[in-house]
Amino acid sequence: MPLTDLFAAVLLLGGGFFFLAGTVGLLRFPDVYTRLHALTKADNVGLGLMVAGLALKAESWPVAGKLLLIWLLVLVAGASVAHLVAVAARQRGVKMWKR
Amino acid sequence: MVQWAFDGLLGLTLIWLAWRALASPDLFRAIVLFISFGLVMALAWVRLGGIDIALAEAAIGAGLTGALLLAAQARLEK
Amino acid sequence: MQPLCFSLALFLLMNLCVGMWRVLRGPTPADRMLAGQLFGTTAVAVLLLLAEAGGNDAVRDVALLFALLAAVTAVAFVRRAWRDPEADHATD
Repeated sequence: MPLTDLFAAVLLLGGGFFFLAGTVGLLRFPDVYTRLHALTKADNVGLGLMVAGLALKAESWPVAGKLLLIWLLVLVAGASVAHLVAVAARQRGVKMWKR
Repeated sequence: MVQWAFDGLLGLTLIWLAWRALASPDLFRAIVLFISFGLVMALAWVRLGGIDIALAEAAIGAGLTGALLLAAQARLEK
Repeated sequence: MQPLCFSLALFLLMNLCVGMWRVLRGPTPADRMLAGQLFGTTAVAVLLLLAEAGGNDAVRDVALLFALLAAVTAVAFVRRAWRDPEADHATD
């Protein structure tokens, strides 16, 4: 049992690291498109690692299934929002970042 | 100890968000701040043990009202 | 397990507070809206951690609702609130 605990803790900490990466990207990247990239990828991976860690500790299968469902919903929402915002920004002439 | 820090930061963020949303001159910024306020408010309700109110706040505050306010602001600008 | 969950929840809340800077000073409306989207994902993670730490199953339902409604605001923003200069000329 302690091995499961250790594994879950490692997964949770990894998820926290990816969330930190997403926040740093949101603050430091230069334009809308790169920020979109940082946000929708890093955060969904972070949430996925956290869901994996919590599902290891889940007391029953339905709870683990609900965690997985939440992650899939967030993935679908994140992907569609990223696409919509990127297309809208391009249509409205937001300049891309150049060195 | 960590729980105290969590609750304290939650309360401070809530008050700060409410103040910024009210004081913001830019309408769109105020709307985004209001949506964030709804999110943090739902977290606060969960910490206070009112899960049902947190559900209502998540549905109304973060979902419906945000979309309605954005649509209303689009009408105002026309 | 419980202290770890609360520490991580506190860490994610700090992330959320730092991300507020982008809402306050994003140059385009899309930047502000994206920061709001980040807050939604972070709030889902915090709720899941709180559900594990507090031992209340109903908290997961709140997270599920957030995940369901995450896209509604952003879609309303893209379709309605962000003014398209070309569309404005077309209706003039």
